[in-house]
Amino acid sequence: MLRIALKGLLARKLRLFTTSIAVLLGVAFMSGTLVLTDTMGRTFDRLFADATAGTDAAVRGKAVISSDFAIDRDRVPASVVETVRRTPGVKAAEGFVAGYAQVVGKDGKAVGNPGMGAPTFGRNWPTVAALNPFRLAEGTAPASNEDVVLDRYTAKEAGAGVGDPLTVLTERGPVRVRVSGIATFGDADGTGGATNVMFTSAAAQRWVAAPGAFDQVGAVAEDGVSQEELRERLAARVPGNAEVITGKALTEENQSTIRKSLRFFNTFLFTFAVVALLVGSFIIYNTFSIIVAQRGREMALMRAVGASRRQVLGAVLVEAVAVGVLASVLGMLAGVAVAAGLKALLAGFGIDIPAGGIVFSAKTAILSLVTGVGVSVVSALFPARRASKVPPIAAMRDLAVESTGIRRRTIVAGLFTAAGVAVLMVGLFGDAGAGAVGLGAVLVFFGVAGLGPVFARPVAGLIGAPLPRLRGMAGTLARENSMRNPKRTASTAAALMIGVGLVAFITIFAASAKQSIDESIDRAFTGDFVVDSGSFGFGGLSPTLAADLARLPEVEAVTGYRIGQAEVEGATKFLAAVDPRTVERIVDLDVRQGSLDDLDATSVAVEAETARTKGLAIGDPVRMTFARTGDRTMTVRAIFERADIGGQYLLPISAYEANFATQFDARVFVAKSDDVSAADARAAVERVTGPYPNAKLQDQTQFKEAQAAQINQLLALIYVLLFLAVFIALLGIANTLALSIFERTRELGLLRAVGMTRAQLRTTVRWESVIIALFGTFLGLVIGLFFGWALVRSLQNEGFTSFVVPPGQLLTVVVVAALAGIVAAIGPGRRAAGLDVLRAIASD
Amino acid sequence: MSSTSSPPAAPASPGAADGGAVAARADRATKVYGKGDTEVRALDDVSVDFARARFTVIMGPSGSGKSTLMHCVAGLDTLTGGRVLIGDTDLTTLDDKRLTVLRRDKIGFVFQAFNLVPTLTALENVTLPMALAGREPDRAWLDTVVDTVHLRDRLAHRPSELSGGQQQRVAVARALASRPEIVFADEPTGNLDSRSGAEILGFMRRAVDELGQTIVMVTHDPVAAAYGDRVVFLADGRIVDDLADPTADAVLDRMKTLEA
Repeated sequence: MLRIALKGLLARKLRLFTTSIAVLLGVAFMSGTLVLTDTMGRTFDRLFADATAGTDAAVRGKAVISSDFAIDRDRVPASVVETVRRTPGVKAAEGFVAGYAQVVGKDGKAVGNPGMGAPTFGRNWPTVAALNPFRLAEGTAPASNEDVVLDRYTAKEAGAGVGDPLTVLTERGPVRVRVSGIATFGDADGTGGATNVMFTSAAAQRWVAAPGAFDQVGAVAEDGVSQEELRERLAARVPGNAEVITGKALTEENQSTIRKSLRFFNTFLFTFAVVALLVGSFIIYNTFSIIVAQRGREMALMRAVGASRRQVLGAVLVEAVAVGVLASVLGMLAGVAVAAGLKALLAGFGIDIPAGGIVFSAKTAILSLVTGVGVSVVSALFPARRASKVPPIAAMRDLAVESTGIRRRTIVAGLFTAAGVAVLMVGLFGDAGAGAVGLGAVLVFFGVAGLGPVFARPVAGLIGAPLPRLRGMAGTLARENSMRNPKRTASTAAALMIGVGLVAFITIFAASAKQSIDESIDRAFTGDFVVDSGSFGFGGLSPTLAADLARLPEVEAVTGYRIGQAEVEGATKFLAAVDPRTVERIVDLDVRQGSLDDLDATSVAVEAETARTKGLAIGDPVRMTFARTGDRTMTVRAIFERADIGGQYLLPISAYEANFATQFDARVFVAKSDDVSAADARAAVERVTGPYPNAKLQDQTQFKEAQAAQINQLLALIYVLLFLAVFIALLGIANTLALSIFERTRELGLLRAVGMTRAQLRTTVRWESVIIALFGTFLGLVIGLFFGWALVRSLQNEGFTSFVVPPGQLLTVVVVAALAGIVAAIGPGRRAAGLDVLRAIASD
Repeated sequence: MSSTSSPPAAPASPGAADGGAVAARADRATKVYGKGDTEVRALDDVSVDFARARFTVIMGPSGSGKSTLMHCVAGLDTLTGGRVLIGDTDLTTLDDKRLTVLRRDKIGFVFQAFNLVPTLTALENVTLPMALAGREPDRAWLDTVVDTVHLRDRLAHRPSELSGGQQQRVAVARALASRPEIVFADEPTGNLDSRSGAEILGFMRRAVDELGQTIVMVTHDPVAAAYGDRVVFLADGRIVDDLADPTADAVLDRMKTLEA
């Protein structure tokens, strides 16, 4: 039996391959994701191992709060360096500074994009060789506070050489320095996309950290003193708010931190791999269903001559395993190319993560194989079971295997859909989280796919209704063909439904987000200009910029807008900070109780809804924990209505300065004086922002556009990644059409004999394909609309105030799907047209 | 296949209608399959005329080339040598598109099996060639044809709702509906019981007699052949005999000598 199955398989090599491609692409994407993230992981592992190779122990501030995004620590006083140096067993010690500093290139533009990509570091040039991962390649170490060393990568990006003057943007404003030397990081030009500008210790403290403080103190042990011994000795001597960690632990910690943040990429990309595999599974299911239906007689004959049900089941599954193995092995290997493609794609969208060499782990190989074979076999299981149930008597008569149990199937599919909707809603509106949302979505897809056959006939008929008039008999036949086998039409369309559903969902979601942001800006922003740094975590605009702007006579009010994290009543929150004296002239907060004028370094303003749920009133205490200062009790001095810009808890800048280590404005909001024209005010503001190339000056419209552009960019990336799912679905349509044409050979031969031209036949195939594609699109749009609505509504309290269905974009989806249907029909249409009429009609 | 029906009376005056004009003609038609040792001459220098408004039957043992001859004359297959004419049109000069249009407009077909498109109704199947041409059928003529094959109450049915005999009647109606120059029938009764078969042959006979249709039919059934005006016998790719006003017995005799 196995031999018969394998023989049959080799006789249909082409189909084996086309079927495999559906799974192959999904496996390739998964394998590519794994290869890419493994490669990135190893690159960072090496980077961090090199960076701390000579460090035996490090002293740093204790982490007071931590979140998924960052760990904030206070700095340690410079005196700790002396303490460490005098500790027995310490051979050498040095204080380290690392923070935001951005080099301005020859072209006047800031080098690097810390908001989106790798960080831009300002550091001190270490004088202890064992603690310095950099090696001087040209010039000299910084001798004066006006000297800096750049790594070679940064120097190249900035177009700077030894002896050149250079501007560096820092927390204290733009600084003019001179390049005294260029260094390499070990053998590498740089630190994997991050930029490094290295000052003297004093200058680094002054510009990047704080005078008299270091971010970390590194120590080298004397021979014979272990890292652990050193750690223990140091721990006994350093101040209470500092902690000691061994060099080994530091390296591992750095590596695991970056791996955690890489996991986000992994999950993000993996989602698309899963979608692709899901689409692939529909195609395998469909292909095997058709094959089993076509071979019903052959299988009945096998049963009649004595094959057991299990043998028939096995014969079909052998083919599924073959498809799975072929797809997984090729897909796994293709993953290497996909990884490179994904890296280039992410880089194209501004997310440039270093990845050197190729890491192809055993995990990648095993996961690819298991997934590929698993998806193929599981998807083929249902058709195979159906095949094994063919009664032997069927060999003696014409039969249609594919016509049983549509009612039971409909009930099961209905239950799936209902369960999916329920789980999705619980995930969105309850506390079940993202996992439930994903599960619910998958259930809905399966459920609707199962319901598809019920409305495939009427909907296909409706979509094809104009065809007889437009395309005559060819159109009539296309419409009839799309209606003749509702199960086949539905499951073919279901594959496309998934891709279209997700595209529609994300389109609606993005449109709603843009609209909500627009409305939010309209509501809350009453000023004239926004100076945006594009950064929300690392670095930003020096507070000197806001101060310079405030001095302009053309400007009436200015406030910096800072963002930080703190624990509020036990939960980590993002907080915003503004200048309470000016903010109300630029931002409409709608203060209902108290006054912003009362805010000082120990007080906070709370948004009305939050105040209500937490039972907070003016004068009440709020417990906040800051990385730098630990527990603080803040007093509520104002309650405001609009969360659009203020968020839930709004600090005065004085409180921010008192509790946060770094002081950057993410944005600066500006209101011009009434008696100055917008153009004059803009010109004045531009003169001030000129020396800050990381600052983007925007009026309200540009500000909105910039927000929309950010969303559009992410949207484009998701579209590109979803294209794979749509592409696989097209292969599925092509595969189904090809199998249908094979099945209809004699019918097509008859049509050709009685006078259908090749062009007419192609037209028929093409329009059948378009109808199937549009049916899938229809299902996808319905699902996408529902998903979009559910998500937007669940985020209503997070600022998603509008639900927008963009008709133009969704129409584009429909048109693209129709065009895709035309493309999918090219191959099958050509095959149909190329039929040998005589052989097609020759009986038996 | 055995037959129990009796052949009808021979037509009144064979060869008289249309003054013996020719509807289709094979002129030194040669068809060779394969090359060298495996070469098979399916048609070997065959010349034959098919008279207008006549029912011509082609007979011969299996492998005699009778189907090949029909396929080539009907524009379904191409010749290796010689010419085929439908009316004044030389088929050997036509490309696939023109050949297809010629089949659509000038030729009607009835096959042994799978004659109908399952997704179309009986009426849509009948008017299929005209629909493909984007032409409206001639209503009066369509009525005549539909009545001739007794299909009026079955027009809205799909093939799966029709019996084998009814399906074949639809096929005959389709072959006649576009008023083709010539109808080719390839074992049209091969899959039918004898009663339904006799019915179909009767309709074809009437189409020739009453509607002036030209029909060429391939069969190996002497009883079916007896419905024709003339029987052409093929063996080994050549015409070996020609019989006018055949009877079943006469045909059977000739067949016996051919196969002997």
